[in-house]
Amino acid sequence: MASSGKGKDLHQTLPDSGGMDELLEVLGYKVRSTDMADVAQKLEQLEMVMGEDGILQLSDTVHYNPSDLSGWVQSMLSELNSNASDIVLPGESSSTTMIDFSNNKEIDGQQQQGTKLYDDDPYDLRAIAGGAIYGTTAEESPVSRNGIKRMKSGVAGSEAVVAPPESPKPVVLVDSQEAGIRLVHTLMACAEAVQQDNMKLADALVKHVGLLAASQAGAMGKVATYFAGALAQRIYKIYPQDGLETSCWEILQMHFYESCPYLKFAHFTANQAILEAFAGASRVHVVDFSLNQGMQWPALMQALALRADGPPAFRLTGIGPPQPDNTDALQQVGWKLAQLADTIGVEFEFRGFVANSLADIDAGMLDIRSSEVEVVAVNSVFELHRLLARPGAVEKVLDSINAMKPKIVTLVEQESNHNGAVFLDRFNEALHYYSTMFDSLESSALSQPISQDLVMSEVYLGRQICNVVACEGTDRVERHETLSQWRTRMNSAGFDPVHLGSNAFKQASMLLALFAGGDGYRVEENDGCLMLGWHTRPLIATSAWKPMET
Amino acid sequence: MLQIDNINGDDVERKIKKSKHNFCINDHLDLLIEVLQRLDGRSLAAAACVCRQWCSVVRNDSLWEHLCFRHVSPPPSVGTRSVVLALGGYRRLYMVCVRPVASQLKGRRITDGGQSEVVRRVWKRHEVEMSLSLFCVEYYERLLGGGGGGGGGGGGGSGVVGGESPATSLKFLCKAVNVSI
Repeated sequence: MASSGKGKDLHQTLPDSGGMDELLEVLGYKVRSTDMADVAQKLEQLEMVMGEDGILQLSDTVHYNPSDLSGWVQSMLSELNSNASDIVLPGESSSTTMIDFSNNKEIDGQQQQGTKLYDDDPYDLRAIAGGAIYGTTAEESPVSRNGIKRMKSGVAGSEAVVAPPESPKPVVLVDSQEAGIRLVHTLMACAEAVQQDNMKLADALVKHVGLLAASQAGAMGKVATYFAGALAQRIYKIYPQDGLETSCWEILQMHFYESCPYLKFAHFTANQAILEAFAGASRVHVVDFSLNQGMQWPALMQALALRADGPPAFRLTGIGPPQPDNTDALQQVGWKLAQLADTIGVEFEFRGFVANSLADIDAGMLDIRSSEVEVVAVNSVFELHRLLARPGAVEKVLDSINAMKPKIVTLVEQESNHNGAVFLDRFNEALHYYSTMFDSLESSALSQPISQDLVMSEVYLGRQICNVVACEGTDRVERHETLSQWRTRMNSAGFDPVHLGSNAFKQASMLLALFAGGDGYRVEENDGCLMLGWHTRPLIATSAWKPMET
Repeated sequence: MLQIDNINGDDVERKIKKSKHNFCINDHLDLLIEVLQRLDGRSLAAAACVCRQWCSVVRNDSLWEHLCFRHVSPPPSVGTRSVVLALGGYRRLYMVCVRPVASQLKGRRITDGGQSEVVRRVWKRHEVEMSLSLFCVEYYERLLGGGGGGGGGGGGGSGVVGGESPATSLKFLCKAVNVSI
């Protein structure tokens, strides 16, 4: 502190400070010298709450007197106290509660003194029906209940910050582990509020999620951010525009192809089934329901080229959506594939069909030649589920597939039910599914430098999340369904399953073994179908079908 | 070191005797190739740095073909050579696919106790097949990216210029280098 002599020299031109600290005065803040220690402490607390990136999402704090440093720091802290739910008084150990997902209840295990209960305050997170976040009464002394485990602080991974013992003010703690749990529960509570059309509460919760998500590092934070964004779009009824989607989508999918094994798995397993179905044929025809960049076909063409009895004549029909700039993307892909075919010595023919929906195409348009002349395979990777947005569309397409008389139909779909009738069910399913997906991306990020591919893959998945959560009706095209649901549908449309052989399994296993950091990936065989998952959760499923013998 | 002596009959005889015992491998390229065929990829690459003659010998694609398929039984089909050469040659195949695939799988090989020779060879064949598929995908990606056929080396040609970065879809084969040490 400057001596009074120096102070007088420094501030000769300033009016009398009136007991205010002189150095801060120069910066424009009026803080009483007597309050200095107190303000320092509050600033420290505020800094702890801000989290790693220093972004404080307090949209509602209004500051009237910026020079009153003590005042507005105090008001920010008390706003945070009313938003956040855990208030731990000094001198008590904080405890972390573990949540059992099946119970879907969290009992706040901390001693709550002076908790404020506002009746109509939208920020009162206790007022949520179903007790999604809190148990029935918060004033109960913490007694462990069935299915809830409790751990004392000092657990590894918990970053609890204990307030200085002399502070009389309540302190907001940010415990990252608990924040993660609360994040999930707040998301679910928000979805429940949307389900019940309680938009005011949902709005408040969505903002809260944003605050929590920002402090959560890693996959969970990213997933939560995407889901929160999608929920916000649903709440405010801002639906994502279509149009520019298409070309961005293909680019994003390319990045997704590079960064993780899901698409490669899909291609390799489907190709193996097609290759086996084509054994002995001299002319073959593949109908691809979503050509994109045609990444699936070089490997198949190479395998056909190296066939013991020589390559067959290979015809490819590629179907794709219209491009916003009217370029003929399909034709360009066809041209590149033709170059490849020429290089490796495979007779090649290509035809592209632009269609808004697969239902617009029928077998007659595709110039299917007689089955004595040509063996047909139909391939659909992550495409058929889009038809479920319009009633009757998928049945129509399955009938056309039957009319093509294919030897084999390969189907790769996401293994999750995002098409339930109830929004909340869809939301919960999607939350679990995409959390697992992001987890797997995250782990491959650990073994490779963070690349553009990874970021773009997350954006790719984020688009899907947005569609599942925010859209409805014909706009909601990401209507994923599980393998068992597809099995039922294919059976009733007149298809019998074809078992994928052990070669496909071996190839898939080898492919995954090649992925550094891919220890978590699992290939599973499920009654003739192959599923790729992350740890115990299957994420995509490949199946093969043929028309029933009549 | 030449000793400049008076050139007389004795010296000439001595020189002829010396040359009978001097053996330079560079004069017997077929022998050199026989030896090189038994080396692994890393040693082959080192051998290419010895001298210009060795470099041109090592760049011979058939050496690398031998390296790729040495342990594969049954040997790959007849059409393989033309396909591989069209897609960039065996040296490129080895560098871009076979070597990373083999080294990645070595760390994760499913050990069935004592693996018999036959089992090892079969596994190698699957590895090679996977490498060929990935090689083709990589070629296609270069087509997509660069436009125009990249690197279709002729039979036994010098192949691709060194230093070309691997195609993006094969990035997953590369182990990350820890530069934080």
